[in-house]
Amino acid sequence: MNTSVPPLHPNPEDSQPILGLSGVLEALLRRPRQLWQQLGQNRSPSLMLGLLTLTLVATLLYGVVVGSFSGGTQWWAAPLKLTFGLLACGLLCLPSLYVFACLSGARVGLLDAVGLVIGLLALFSVLLMSFAPVAWIFSESTQSVAAMGALHLVFCLTAIAFGVRFLHQGLVHWGAPSNAALAVWSVLFVLVMLQMMTALRPLVGTADTLLPVEKRFFLQHWAKNLNPESEN
Amino acid sequence: MSASRPIRLEALLRGETGELQRWLSQPDLLRIAWAVTLIVAGAGLFGAVVGGWRSELQAAYSAVKLPLILLITAAGNTALNGLLAPLLGIDLKLRQSFLAVLMSFVLAAVILASLAPVLAFLVWNLPDATSPPEAQRQAFALLQVAAVGAVAIAGVAANLRLYQGLRELAGSVAPARRLLFAWLATNLLLGAQLSWIARPFFGQPDLEVVFLRDDAFRSNFFEALAYNFRQLLSL
Repeated sequence: MNTSVPPLHPNPEDSQPILGLSGVLEALLRRPRQLWQQLGQNRSPSLMLGLLTLTLVATLLYGVVVGSFSGGTQWWAAPLKLTFGLLACGLLCLPSLYVFACLSGARVGLLDAVGLVIGLLALFSVLLMSFAPVAWIFSESTQSVAAMGALHLVFCLTAIAFGVRFLHQGLVHWGAPSNAALAVWSVLFVLVMLQMMTALRPLVGTADTLLPVEKRFFLQHWAKNLNPESEN
Repeated sequence: MSASRPIRLEALLRGETGELQRWLSQPDLLRIAWAVTLIVAGAGLFGAVVGGWRSELQAAYSAVKLPLILLITAAGNTALNGLLAPLLGIDLKLRQSFLAVLMSFVLAAVILASLAPVLAFLVWNLPDATSPPEAQRQAFALLQVAAVGAVAIAGVAANLRLYQGLRELAGSVAPARRLLFAWLATNLLLGAQLSWIARPFFGQPDLEVVFLRDDAFRSNFFEALAYNFRQLLSL
């Protein structure tokens, strides 16, 4: 496959190794260039593992807050579903990211695309986790599943926006002259994520079964939730 | 090492300068075989996912039909596309015209294959062909919109790369643009009619699953399009 990606704008500081989970977090938030460079040059398994660990920890924590709204089985079901759903989204969209990244002109191989997706998911999860206290306050003070669902959706979309920006900037770093193909991919990723949330429902409220018995497109699901009478 | 690979797919996807020339200047059977394999695998996977909503049999049929349409379109238009190239100002031989069109179909097939997991996830999430009629109808419509969207994305991206390559070969914009539009027109003409003959791809829930319909050769794509427009405008 593709060989290692040469740094386009080498900077000695960006070559310094990223150590520990706190180092990975720092790099993700403050020094993304260092992250892209090391993902591209070294394809360090420990760096990818660090990003993956961050993703898992942050998503599980946020999932607990999501589950706290209904309690009961949702204490464990919501975090597990959220984590599984996020990783599944990454896997489903990975082949198209690789192809669309190449179409945008970036010099990336499949492993680089894996690194970028894990980076996107890590930043998304960390941002989501930072919303957890706010989400928890709201979940303690409202009974409306629709209102809580909408709030989580806003937090998710905000986090996705930053995640996608990270990805776009990473590809520019790897030589993509145009981001048009990536804009298409970003829309695809958001749609997959919204559908995943619907496929793994209930995440916020409760139901008789752990997973839905009726398959629905996410827009249909939202419409039915906003207008419950239409279900009967 | 990568230079010895029959097809440098990443370079073609990136639209690297000179890649189309390399592709056209060193044609060999191995490279054509690779291109055909990629089209069969990529478009076949996409076809299987699209047909999979209706049934396993429809998935198998669509997996065979979609790559066949691409390959027959490329082969069937070889002579016409080859004649149009010098007439419109780009000095391409018959074989090179075929290879250029084949390259754009390879790119389209690869893009379709990369979108197949997402489409498969959508298919898995839709009410299946045994659901109540209203749910079926909505699912069928949604699947069609999603699949057509994916084909449009793949088609646009592949043709942009083809245009880029033609521009490099021609050294200027105008002949490249003229030839691209001419090739698009000829490929659309044949490709659309082949798709009409080879229908169904999605497998309408209220019709039996068949490889080709009994009336496959009755009417044509453009007549059907005109009929639908008349219906739409109630003329």
